Amino acid sequence: MPQPLVGSFPYDKVKGTAVPKPTRTASEQGYVSEITKGIAVTMTHFFKNTRAMVRGERPDPVVDPMSEGITTLEYPDQKRPYPERFRGVHRLTHRDDGSPRCVACLCCSTACPAQCIYIEAGEYGGKDKRHGYERYPVKFVIDELRCIFCGYCVEACPCDAIRMDTGVHPVPYDSRDQFIYGKNMLLAMASQAGKQKHENPRAEPPDADYGPIERLAGHH
Amino acid sequence: MPSIKLDGKEIPFEKGETIITAAHKAGVEIPHYCWHPGLSVAANCRMCLVEIDATPTRRQLVLDVLAWDEKKQDYVPGRKPKLEPACQVECIDGLVVKSDTSPNVSDARKHVQEFLLLNHPVDCPICDQAGECKLQDYWLSEDKQPKRKTEEILHKPKAVEFGDTIVYDAERCIVCTRCVRFMDEIAKDPVLDKRERGNLGEIFVSPGRKLEGHYTMMVDEVCPVGALTTKDFRFKARVWFLKKVPSICPGCATGCNTWLDYDARTGEVPRLRPRENLAVNKYWMCDDGILTHRRVQEKRTLHAYVGKGKARKEVSPIAALKAAAQLIKDAPGKVAIILSAQRSTEDNFALAYLAKKHLDVKELFLARVGDWDGDDILRDNDANPNVRGAQRGAGDTSLSPLSELAEPVAGQQISVLIALGGEADISDATTVGALGRAKLIAIAANHGPLTENAEVILPAASFAEQDGSFINRQGTEQRFSAGPEPAGDSLAGWDILARLARQLGKPIDWKSFLDVRAAMKAALPSPAAANPESAAAAAPAE
Ligand code: SF4
Ligand code: SF4
Ligand code: SF4
Ligand code: SF4
Ligand code: FES
Repeated sequence: MPQPLVGSFPYDKVKGTAVPKPTRTASEQGYVSEITKGIAVTMTHFFKNTRAMVRGERPDPVVDPMSEGITTLEYPDQKRPYPERFRGVHRLTHRDDGSPRCVACLCCSTACPAQCIYIEAGEYGGKDKRHGYERYPVKFVIDELRCIFCGYCVEACPCDAIRMDTGVHPVPYDSRDQFIYGKNMLLAMASQAGKQKHENPRAEPPDADYGPIERLAGHH
Repeated sequence: MPSIKLDGKEIPFEKGETIITAAHKAGVEIPHYCWHPGLSVAANCRMCLVEIDATPTRRQLVLDVLAWDEKKQDYVPGRKPKLEPACQVECIDGLVVKSDTSPNVSDARKHVQEFLLLNHPVDCPICDQAGECKLQDYWLSEDKQPKRKTEEILHKPKAVEFGDTIVYDAERCIVCTRCVRFMDEIAKDPVLDKRERGNLGEIFVSPGRKLEGHYTMMVDEVCPVGALTTKDFRFKARVWFLKKVPSICPGCATGCNTWLDYDARTGEVPRLRPRENLAVNKYWMCDDGILTHRRVQEKRTLHAYVGKGKARKEVSPIAALKAAAQLIKDAPGKVAIILSAQRSTEDNFALAYLAKKHLDVKELFLARVGDWDGDDILRDNDANPNVRGAQRGAGDTSLSPLSELAEPVAGQQISVLIALGGEADISDATTVGALGRAKLIAIAANHGPLTENAEVILPAASFAEQDGSFINRQGTEQRFSAGPEPAGDSLAGWDILARLARQLGKPIDWKSFLDVRAAMKAALPSPAAANPESAAAAAPAE
């Protein structure tokens, strides 16, 4: 026996317009003739496409997606190229000597509206040439699942240390922890053009164009 | 009261006060770097320049200047009042001073600001001061123009260690000498000084010495820029992520007023800063006091435990409460309590209240930690912040030291102890033995000798995580506020005691801190806590 609907909706009081049942012709009701029509349409396209492919007339779906004709993409074997400024997953840039350009200033995590960047700052040791000048990220973690790909982190970074020019869109993984990108993962990524370096050259100790410590240089 | 007129506003002053001091007291800020209300006047930064009108007894100095004329596209001779440092000029009744309203002053501030930033590295992203830096604040309010100097800045030593606590960055230093004056005048150890002149000027430590003593971290606090940083806080947090609540240092009986800076996301307390209270600590704190922030993270109990030594295991808070209640029920008339000079007056009151009202306890003991080296600057010999508060919590009953515990425990008059706090100075073996023999229930935030010997540990909130008050050596009750949420399974001390009472079938209906305060007021109408809100208003009781 059908169960009564939960609650007490006043069906008897509701006024509405009855929608008439569609009427069917004999051929529709007969099934076979309609199916034949459908298969005919499919086969027309099949032969048309096959002919276009054999003759080389089919537009390239990757570079020519707006043309007439069949431009179906065979994803993931074929991929449409992303525009140059497409915001993909992040990467951390390298200095010329391969060390991370990031100075662990937390500007990016401050700007991030999703609060998905976690950084722990460390100090270059007493012997390091950058001692006193730079801090570096001991930990740098981005939760790509939480990230809304707004690019604010890239805007906020004062030293071109973080970029979203990898051209890699967020990949589906099968567990959540795989979306947590650590420092090494981020440093291993490259731009669409394969670059890993930063583009923010700056005089740093002990570069030649970095001035001496004046007192030690004898200006008295 | 005599007064001056600053930008049209009447500002009263006391004889001998400078313009900036009078304004500061009236809540008006005149931009400044080198002046500090607690230090002598150096007048070297020139940020506080103001225009002072002539009075019958004081003429105005006027300078002949060349001023740029936009129309003539040339310099033309003109006259301009000579500006004077507000931090050095004493107030005279009726003096008319222009600060924000004078275009000459705005002009001067802009130039001073540009001058100070001439060789400044502006590495704010990696500077711990960023967010609370006077250079940033005044650039925004007075200057707001991009740097005009195009040459590489003058480089000076960076990350110079000034001892075990402080790191100095000469490039960021504006040579205001606040740190020099602090070490000289307050810490009474003139170990810092300035060398070189002009843009080569920098601060250094006397040769053969290092910055040491009990008051080194205060130099970071007085530094208006990021030149001095403490190793303790260096790179630990960005200040804009921190929230602050007014608190009291739990380091010693002085009870310095503090700002407790905490990260609400993690519950961490990366630093304490002094909070101005002229009656207690003025503007200062000692290093050990600042480092008490570590107690919020270090050696925390966090979870409830039952059992001793190897048999100890973590249990749910409710299971621990039940176990504690069972211990108490099994030993009627044989329960004693140990109050704590480390925990708030309210927690002590709550335990004493439960014990006297419901458990018929006669013997009250007091756990305290040992003395440390006091001085006549701030530090008290007594490293317990709340000996007086514990006594007040106990009302008229006098508190015995822990060393008197051995006899009644040996004589079986006491078999269960309820102790507040984990820390205690227990040096003699008999007391340790007594603690070991009795069944101890410890309500503690940090592990210490008491939790070590405890049968049941109930995790309590630290001083940072609960509201409370301490009564300092002057007899002043000072309130502190809860910052982060209690860590782990911990709860406020009084809350645990109220829950324990419920387990014992003797409910105490405190729902909030204010309920405890009200109960305390009703039970102990003593004048000792005459003025709970304001420490400054209460007179020293000694
Ligand atoms: S893209 Fe936006 S949401 Fe993602 S990490 Fe950067 S700032 Fe955060
Ligand atoms: S990525 Fe850039 S903004 Fe983020 S911490 Fe590193 S340097 Fe700062
Ligand atoms: S001292 Fe101030 S202005 Fe200078 S780098 Fe630090 S935060 Fe920036
Ligand atoms: S270190 Fe700081 S307090 Fe000391 S002179 Fe330099 S700017 Fe002033
Ligand atoms: S505050 Fe520095 S000169 Fe007055």
